[in-house]
Amino acid sequence: MALSRALLARLKEIVGPVYVLTRPEDVVVYEQDAFLVAHALPDIVVLPGSAAEVAGVVRAAHEANVPLVVRGAGTGLNGGSIPIAGGVMLVLTRMNRILEIDPRNRLAVVEPGVVNADLTAAAARHGLFYAPDPGSQSVSTIGGNVGNNAGGPHCLSYGVTGNHVLAMEIALASGGMTWVGGRSVDPPGYDLCGVMVGSEGTLAVVTAVVVRLLRKAEAARTLLAAFETIDDASQTVSEIIAAGIVPTAMEMMDGVVMAAVEAAIHAGYPADAGAVLLIEVEGLPDSLPRQMERIETICRAHTPRMLRTAASEQERLLLWKGRKEGAGALGRLAPSYYLHDGVVPRTRLPEVMRKVVEIGKAHHLRIGNLFHAGDGNLHPIILFNPREPGIMDKVVRAGEEILHACVEAGGTITGEHGVGIEKREYMRWMFSDADLLAMQRVKRAFDPSGVMNPGKLLPLGTRPDVTIKPVMTAGMWT
Amino acid sequence: MRDLTIDADRLARELGGMLGAAVQRDPASLRAHAVDGLVPQIRCAPKDTDELCAILRVCDASGAAVIPWGGGTAMHWGNPPSRADVVISLEQFNRLVEHDDANLTATVQAGMRVAALQELLGGRHQCLAIDPPDPQHSTIGGTAAANINGPRRMAYGGVRDLVIGMKMVLASGEPIKAGGKVVKNVAGYDMCKLFVGSLGTLGIITEVTFKMTPLPETAGTVVARGSLAQTASLIEALFGSVLTPAAVTVVDGRVAAAAGLQPAEASVAVWAEGFTETVARHVRDVQAMAGQSGMTTEVVHDIGHRRLWETVRDFGAVGAPPVVFRLTVPPADVMPVLAVVCRLSDGGALRYVAHAGTGTVWLAFDTPAPVTAWFPRLAALAQEYHGHAVLAAAPPEVKRTVDVWGPSPQALGLMQELKRQFDPHGTLNPGRFVAGI
Repeated sequence: MALSRALLARLKEIVGPVYVLTRPEDVVVYEQDAFLVAHALPDIVVLPGSAAEVAGVVRAAHEANVPLVVRGAGTGLNGGSIPIAGGVMLVLTRMNRILEIDPRNRLAVVEPGVVNADLTAAAARHGLFYAPDPGSQSVSTIGGNVGNNAGGPHCLSYGVTGNHVLAMEIALASGGMTWVGGRSVDPPGYDLCGVMVGSEGTLAVVTAVVVRLLRKAEAARTLLAAFETIDDASQTVSEIIAAGIVPTAMEMMDGVVMAAVEAAIHAGYPADAGAVLLIEVEGLPDSLPRQMERIETICRAHTPRMLRTAASEQERLLLWKGRKEGAGALGRLAPSYYLHDGVVPRTRLPEVMRKVVEIGKAHHLRIGNLFHAGDGNLHPIILFNPREPGIMDKVVRAGEEILHACVEAGGTITGEHGVGIEKREYMRWMFSDADLLAMQRVKRAFDPSGVMNPGKLLPLGTRPDVTIKPVMTAGMWT
Repeated sequence: MRDLTIDADRLARELGGMLGAAVQRDPASLRAHAVDGLVPQIRCAPKDTDELCAILRVCDASGAAVIPWGGGTAMHWGNPPSRADVVISLEQFNRLVEHDDANLTATVQAGMRVAALQELLGGRHQCLAIDPPDPQHSTIGGTAAANINGPRRMAYGGVRDLVIGMKMVLASGEPIKAGGKVVKNVAGYDMCKLFVGSLGTLGIITEVTFKMTPLPETAGTVVARGSLAQTASLIEALFGSVLTPAAVTVVDGRVAAAAGLQPAEASVAVWAEGFTETVARHVRDVQAMAGQSGMTTEVVHDIGHRRLWETVRDFGAVGAPPVVFRLTVPPADVMPVLAVVCRLSDGGALRYVAHAGTGTVWLAFDTPAPVTAWFPRLAALAQEYHGHAVLAAAPPEVKRTVDVWGPSPQALGLMQELKRQFDPHGTLNPGRFVAGI
């Protein structure tokens, strides 16, 4: 896309010349996110330092009728920040200040470029934490988390990003800035803050966010159980929920991932077990022993190969280490992988997992599985060698079949990664023309000229271009 | 400008041709469905979504203003409608579609009464953790559309947090759905959020899917009595602790008496529920904290606990006093705000229920006189604390003199554009929402 000199000059004036990048060797850094199978170059990369600068850039792009793509740390897994139509990329990582922590009201006001884990670290000084904990939390930004409505292992009891965002300041394509939501509940009017969360940069640019912080629980207990089969582990998950216990996390790994983790960190998993389940409960220590007893009883009914509880914080972190490094450890098994994200009602996990295995067999692909089992959120990981001719087609097709199986089981195409370009066309599996038109109406109200992140989230009727790069590195984020 | 007068006879004939006996024009029934004194000309009760779509198509095309009607328990909310021609009752949408207890979800038709739903859910040891007033009459759709929350919101979240899927029909008669039946879902815009609290101005909700909560093993409440200052210090200690109560609510002496408690200047009720050990620890710790604040406590269970929380739940909504305000402020600012309000009222005819855990303060006056003087004052006070004051109930003639939602939100322009996108003819609940949307 040929961009006018006038636009370039204007952008330099708004943010300062050093924060406008156009040289190929500079902008190439921003050609992709953690959706490793597609890429596209932005024409101009802009790194604003303040909300006012963001508003200026947004207005300039709008007036030049040039696409505008927002990017945080680039850990998104759906290609949402890949500038497939070129244009201006707005990188918000310089806006990384925590503006305020209000411990009495348990909230924080942050700029969008603040890293998730940095916020929790700052809140910890007050005995508080920020609940959504995506696998990328040590790198990913609050702005990106908000854009994709990020989840994480502890969402089972705490909820996803949308449940923790109280308000935000946004810059609109029209050039205006406004606050939506509020520091108090139920601000009069439509819940635009709720709509903004998960809108993947297609409606407006977030320039500040007010998030809820939670008080750290007094105690936590963690249990790790290895089972013969995924069925046994899934059944255990269902029975714990049926017993009226909602743990803060219930995470599962299958045998493929377990073997990789074992090789990487020697966590002590039985080498031939089919699935391992990591269960955590939090709360007052008074009630935890009996809860753990009940959970253990349910586990034992499914003849676990191993049952281990953490006696100390150190042991607890060790049990989690295997889960947290699960995806990373897969790098040992194959040169690359494609990490998927689907959700099914948790009771349907066993049958959908059987389907995933069949799909892998049919395409001669090795698939490992990580799950947020308590939420029915599965992350099949398709392992492959990108140098193998024609492999990408097979990988994409297998992924599609897996997501189809999720939708057929009453689930969804994405639980926490978002739609982006990756799943844009799959939206039709779940939504009718009328449903999608309603979403278009929302888009039109916010962004009538359509400059905000075009080609993402809503189906266009054409397949996204998924091309292989010559060299790919394994991704890390779940 | 569209002609705003409709030919009610012709419209009734047209709807009657589609629905038969389900179209009512009997004056007594119509009067019972007046909104802020405005009596509709037609009431109909479609039996399914197809009929509802057909009715909306006809109304939207003929310029008739439509008032969606659930249990009629939140009709005092909002500005008086600018027009009210056809009331559409969701009374025939009264089924529990599916309770998937193993997945902690339930799908419910919009016209189902909350109490009837809770009874069915309770049979499988679960509940919907929303406590709207008058659950015998209030409906699921109305609770979602009006965003009616109850005391336990601090523990379980509000309506917006518990809704995971919805079906609705737009003003044009087009049926749409949003979300789904799984607890984690980020496919597309979160349209449910847009409809929760939209007061029927964007579409009519026909079905809602919620997250469920397991019924707690046990529950109990500690009530501490004392002065407002003592109450404030107890609440500060409580929120500085690791305790996780289901509700923390402050009431004045008259509300306390109505709830079966010994009246005091202020009483704070702390609701604990969950595992037996958790509740016991809460009772113990809250009693100790109250003791340190010099307050007297009592512990209520079973009937006493239920009566107390039903009184709190129904405050300002059932047998409503002439004027009710709702203030929302950040949670820690509830007590400072309440102190200012009590000082202003100077022992006047003010009653209050203040949820310190969520930051929602309900104020009720027994006469309409205070609106003119109080509303601007409360709005300014709330704004000072990053909050809002809403006139939740008042006689229609009083409501007509103000915008009950208070000062217009900053994003009003966007909201008006959304309304135009979803309901271009202004068919649904015209005038009732913020700034007359």
